[in-house]
Amino acid sequence: MYERHILICAGTGCISSGALEVKETLVDELEKHGLTNKVRIIMSGCHGFCEKGPIFIVYPEDVFYCGVQPEDVKEIVEEYLVKGNMVERLLYHDPVNDETHVSHDQIMFYHKQLRQALRNCGVIDPENIDEYIIRGGYKGLKNALKMEPVEVVNEVKSSGLRGRGGAGFPTGMKWQFANSSKGDKKYVVCNADEGDPGAFMDRSLLEGDPHAVLEGMCIAGRAIGADEGYIYVRSEYPLAIKRLRTAIGQAEEYGMLGENVLGLGFNFKIKIKEGAGAFVCGEETALLASIEGKRGVPRHRPPFPAVEGLWGKPTCINNVETLANVPLILRHGAEKFASIGTEGSKGTKVFALTGKVNNTGLVEVPMGVTIREVVFDIGGGIREGKKFKAAQIGGPSGGCIPEEHLDLPIDFDSLTTAGAMMGSGGLVVVDEDTCMVDMARYFLSFTKKESCGQCAPCRLGTTQMYNILEDITEGRGKPEDLKLLEELAWAIKKGSMCGLGQTAPNPVLTTLRYFRHEYEAHVYEKRCPALACKALLQYQIDPDKCIGCQRCKKECPVEAISGEKKEAHEINQDLCIKCGACYEVCPKKVRAVQVLSEGLPESIEEKEACEEGSKCQS
Amino acid sequence: MKHFIDHCCEKCFNSKENPCEQFVECCLDGPLCHESEECKEARQQIVDRYSHSPLFREQ
Repeated sequence: MYERHILICAGTGCISSGALEVKETLVDELEKHGLTNKVRIIMSGCHGFCEKGPIFIVYPEDVFYCGVQPEDVKEIVEEYLVKGNMVERLLYHDPVNDETHVSHDQIMFYHKQLRQALRNCGVIDPENIDEYIIRGGYKGLKNALKMEPVEVVNEVKSSGLRGRGGAGFPTGMKWQFANSSKGDKKYVVCNADEGDPGAFMDRSLLEGDPHAVLEGMCIAGRAIGADEGYIYVRSEYPLAIKRLRTAIGQAEEYGMLGENVLGLGFNFKIKIKEGAGAFVCGEETALLASIEGKRGVPRHRPPFPAVEGLWGKPTCINNVETLANVPLILRHGAEKFASIGTEGSKGTKVFALTGKVNNTGLVEVPMGVTIREVVFDIGGGIREGKKFKAAQIGGPSGGCIPEEHLDLPIDFDSLTTAGAMMGSGGLVVVDEDTCMVDMARYFLSFTKKESCGQCAPCRLGTTQMYNILEDITEGRGKPEDLKLLEELAWAIKKGSMCGLGQTAPNPVLTTLRYFRHEYEAHVYEKRCPALACKALLQYQIDPDKCIGCQRCKKECPVEAISGEKKEAHEINQDLCIKCGACYEVCPKKVRAVQVLSEGLPESIEEKEACEEGSKCQS
Repeated sequence: MKHFIDHCCEKCFNSKENPCEQFVECCLDGPLCHESEECKEARQQIVDRYSHSPLFREQ
């Protein structure tokens, strides 16, 4: 038996930070110290705390080392494993209270989390089916195979599980439709086409616990009467695909997949279809078209896939996180699952927490926790002591939640009421330095590019909205633009054929709703309050502060700065391209270069005229 | 017996072609079709090998 187990995170994030090199060095160091047979190395899935990677945990003590590099491994082995001395510098230091924590459960980032869907991520070796079984894996499938299909459907219905991919449709109801559809052949499809910028919930689940998704698919197959499943996963996720292939091979060898599963007369096989990365293929009908080898574009519904799906057969499509929750329901019962969460949203939700918070990474929280708890407790608050401005939830389809709604409970219905949506789980926190108009423009630039172009409201509408937003951020905004933006947004929402177009205006609508003053500052005063929109900024040098060090002059790429050494410098505004290089190099103690957005006098006159109704068309 | 799929002794018949209904339960609490301390110990060794913390098996 091993005396110690060392878990090294082998999620994509930690691998890119050097986890594989850390492992190689550890193997060598253990050999040098005669510890090879006493210490087991486990390359686990994602621990969630990606910004602190590579994560390196020593069990059974649960010592959490973070940011470990190959050159640190020798010290860990010699000092900790051999002599028992803690390597303090590699422990986690809380940036908020400066405390040092030894084990991971002491860290605030993990404290308020409830890892259900991620139960095995960062705990097991995802390429070892035995470990999955020890953790209770495939018990849910066994239970499902002992039940009638309709009983399985009813169990999932009773649990209150709703789809984690975006819209939150009740999973049990979807299964009921597919179960009652007539067909000589049915399919289960796992939607792993995760496309929101910055989102990596599904990738981490597939990389860290692929068997949970396979088990969920088998149970879905039992519930609807399907004997074949597809996992549609983007080819940008090579590690997830590799681990899925390994897991499928093991599950077939162990009799959990294939003919006569567990000797109970159920047949189910799973295939992988690699997608090329189009965002629209996350839409279920586009995804099905792509699996069929056609161009990945949505089609009109009805008929819904549960009635007429893959190759015209009844098909049940569920998201990765949804499927990872299913084995828990069949193992522990619907009641236990439903005991967590709120009235209308049961269970937990995984979020990719990113942006201007101290702790970024993958977090899983019970439905009903507030945005404040996620941002300030788990996320550790805003970086550099700056002020929270908004949380952008749900990716390009979601919306921005302002400070006054920080105590909003995170569940499907509350977020929709606030104008946002759960989406697949992207949660981007922005501070006072982020311009909300520019943020809306960014998301529109994404949806505009990803629109399949099939329906006019989405294809033309998102482009028009983007052009207006670009005008506003570049100082060409007109007073009537705000009304036009709103009209366009509602027309696109109502007229678009699929979810992409129907939700694309959300970032614009929520920023207009909660941050209208920022739009007005851009349009009427040609001013960006967050000092983010380049075209509306002016760089100036304060002659009283400038020490004439010439750093800015040397750095300026267009030679817009003049001035003799040890004398105050000046920026020629006609030449300045507003690249900010002078601001970056100006010594922090001096701060002579200043960035301003004071607006144009004629714009203020225009606003006043607009308010009087003499010039403004709106 | 290195993995759960390996047979603990000649009494185990589980295979891909002839799967045992009780395989999942047998991995952790087996053997269920016969009594043998040795076969039980073989399974426990697999569990112990991978269990890096007391909570590993609990779900």
